[in-house]
Amino acid sequence: MTKSLKINKSTEQGVLELLKYLLENKKVKAVFTLKKIEKKGAVAYSLIADVKDLQDAVPFYPLMPVNAGNLLSRFTLKGSPDELVAAVVKPCELRGFVELIKREQGSLENLLIISSTCGGVYPTKFGVDGTVEKNLSKYWDAVKKGEIPDGSRPTCRSCEEFAPYVADITVDMLGKNDLDKQCMMFLNTKKAEEIAKGFKGDFSDKQMDSKKLDKAREKRGIEKKKLFDEIDKKMNGIDGLIEIFGKCISCHGCSKVCPICYCVLCEFESSDSEYGPSNFETELRKRPGLRVPPGTLYFHLGRLTHISISCVACGACDDVCPSDIPVAMVFKKVSESVQKMFDYIPGKNVDEKIPLITFKKDEFKEFEG
Amino acid sequence: MSKLKGAIVAAKPSVEKTIIGMLEKSMKKGVFDAVIIPMRAPSGDSFAYVLVKDKSLLKDATPLPPTMFVQGAKAVSSVTRLGKGKIKIAAVMRPCEVRATVELAKLGQANLENMTIISMDCPGVLPSSDFLKYPEKNIKLFNEAAKKLDDKMMRPLCQICDKSSMVSGDLHIGTLGAKKDTFFLISNSTKGDDAANKLGINLKDNIDSWQTKVKTFSDEKKKKRKKAHKELKAKVGGIDNLVETFSHCINCHNCMRVCPVCICRLCYFDSDKVKHSAEDYLERAESKGSIRFLPDTTLFQMGRMMHMSISCVSCGACEDACSMSIPVGQIFSMIADETQALFDYVSGKNLDEPIPLVAYKEEELLEVEDSDD
Amino acid sequence: MEKNEEFTPRILAFLCNWCSYAGADLAGTSRLKYPASILPIRVMCSSRVDPIFVLRAYLGGIDGVLVAGCHPGDCHYQEGNYYTRRRFAMLKKVFEETGLESDRLLLSWVSASEGQKYAKVATEFTGKIKELGENSTKNKIFL
Repeated sequence: MTKSLKINKSTEQGVLELLKYLLENKKVKAVFTLKKIEKKGAVAYSLIADVKDLQDAVPFYPLMPVNAGNLLSRFTLKGSPDELVAAVVKPCELRGFVELIKREQGSLENLLIISSTCGGVYPTKFGVDGTVEKNLSKYWDAVKKGEIPDGSRPTCRSCEEFAPYVADITVDMLGKNDLDKQCMMFLNTKKAEEIAKGFKGDFSDKQMDSKKLDKAREKRGIEKKKLFDEIDKKMNGIDGLIEIFGKCISCHGCSKVCPICYCVLCEFESSDSEYGPSNFETELRKRPGLRVPPGTLYFHLGRLTHISISCVACGACDDVCPSDIPVAMVFKKVSESVQKMFDYIPGKNVDEKIPLITFKKDEFKEFEG
Repeated sequence: MSKLKGAIVAAKPSVEKTIIGMLEKSMKKGVFDAVIIPMRAPSGDSFAYVLVKDKSLLKDATPLPPTMFVQGAKAVSSVTRLGKGKIKIAAVMRPCEVRATVELAKLGQANLENMTIISMDCPGVLPSSDFLKYPEKNIKLFNEAAKKLDDKMMRPLCQICDKSSMVSGDLHIGTLGAKKDTFFLISNSTKGDDAANKLGINLKDNIDSWQTKVKTFSDEKKKKRKKAHKELKAKVGGIDNLVETFSHCINCHNCMRVCPVCICRLCYFDSDKVKHSAEDYLERAESKGSIRFLPDTTLFQMGRMMHMSISCVSCGACEDACSMSIPVGQIFSMIADETQALFDYVSGKNLDEPIPLVAYKEEELLEVEDSDD
Repeated sequence: MEKNEEFTPRILAFLCNWCSYAGADLAGTSRLKYPASILPIRVMCSSRVDPIFVLRAYLGGIDGVLVAGCHPGDCHYQEGNYYTRRRFAMLKKVFEETGLESDRLLLSWVSASEGQKYAKVATEFTGKIKELGENSTKNKIFL
């Protein structure tokens, strides 16, 4: 039975109070969270060691400039911290991190993970042009009601995995209609219970209200079906794919911001994938012409075969694309089908092996010829 | 400047169609086996470079598209980086793309032996994000603006470009200063001369009117450029302004990857050298109270600048690709002007001129040295 | 996609060294008849086949891809073909979801002694590919 902690402050304030307590009493060495970093208010993840700097922290700001899974992986890649560090991340960022851990790109050791039932984020470009600030109250109104905030990322609007799996602390957020008056946190692990001891708040055995989460999930399921139908219409064979990816400039930004794409030298940028004069001459014998640089579709389909098993549908790829290609929805749709085949939810369980490196002796007979 | 030779060519029904006609003829005659030229993508909302073998495709080609989705030098380099191949190829690109191609040849990333590079007077190019909003409408608007030399819609860097008619390839289409329904076909090399000859074009005409118009135009742009740089320096100069300017940067590195002269397969800023342990990061956070994570955004931007500024061709591909609308192109171009001027160097102008950082004179730049005298 | 009677399909076949390649050899030495559409590539184990090999061939215009290995439980390296099966299932699913012709991909288990089976698989698969017609990616420019 997990314990819960109630603070009679707004949800964001309550969490900040807890973080302040943890830092001041040296229960954590530092806090990793979103923070306003410049005078004009650009928001970025920060590693905060001095409690004074917490005052600019905005842990639940509806923006994901970078998938924090990448950042936590970089933080722990060359060795975990010696002491506990608290990290406030969104559920898909956490799932991305877990998938990276399975690939030996990081560790949960000495990390206190705080997440929430997430209402979604806005595309990053809205953080640059001030749209997010203008829409903040509308955003929180929607989150309080469990509704989908207008203008949020397509992947967020269709997200059914908004409840974190491996967080030490889950902050009650989506569908909580008294977000501005009360902070409710669920302490999921012994680590969380231990660390919160001594903090001034109301501890109880209250559990998460799954009914309101189910309602929110239903709404997003309907939106998902709509978005999936749209992208399905476009993905009708080679010509459909050529249309979708027609304006791709092969910048590979989608791959670089993706938490799952961790290869330092990507296959599609290596000499393996490079065309020499004889390759071009061969291609020109087959075709009347060839787009150059070659391999645009090869890159996207190849990336799909490499990462679809673990795609957490965060939508970072969409935001970074300079050509406005709906990469995230293509990847989300295909990945969900692939993952369903193996009954696999990426990032749910750290100990669950990635399905492609395990097997059953009797399975998938339907794929054998 | 090499002695340019030119011919006045009749441009009926249009300059574009005449260029395409010439390319078709040259393929028919075996002057070229293939052509690298922009074509409209099937989706209709973009243009891409295509290596064309079947000359019947050329009628759908667009020598001067409204956007530069992929920097042409990248397209050319991808075809010849691993060798010159057996086929003779003509590539049709904008002047800044040609200059980048020449730089890449110097960097061993393109083999131009079997390539004939054709450029044209460039009216600028639309920012791709603007273009994508209304592709059809923008194609029309671009074509109209190009005719009137109106650059208000073009990339900020195009608006202050003083090299929009620079000839550093083999052939150049000169539209400035040309009489109605004609253009100048200008040759800058023996390859260019050869191609013109084989097409039956006699390069004996007077190109003074083109050269004069180009100089006037370029001088105007130089003034605009100076003014723009002064304003930009005031806005982004100094450590505080720099950090603020790059504060939205998310280190996606799009700018680096679309840059034609950023060639490293594994960039320093993606390598192990910038990956540190948790304890290292925590130490930094403690010393400053807090650090942005991942840190070193300004280091990446300024570091990239240090590495490629000497070869920057001010095309603005970086700015188009930036997912956070940071004016990287304008900043990098401004500094590139200065670093190149230090060595009296214009990147990509002349294939025989080595990149200054891999060349030296035994006595030079004494003003930089700490002198005891 | 046209049904072209003159059309000779080109089918790439990844054959594992220990079982399928030997099986294909046996079909040859036994003078069994099967179409000349198969282009074999020997791999040490079917699990060597990265989905992107198949992708590269498919986008390059190949009309069909066959991946053949030892029967599950008989892999020379004990477990290789179990992974092949999962990877192949994933690859087929990606093709299905993106609307590419997943019927042009076939996974088959052929042991070293199954010369007859190899000839049968080759013949049937060639027939299926003939029905599907030429792979249209052959002519595409904007890949």
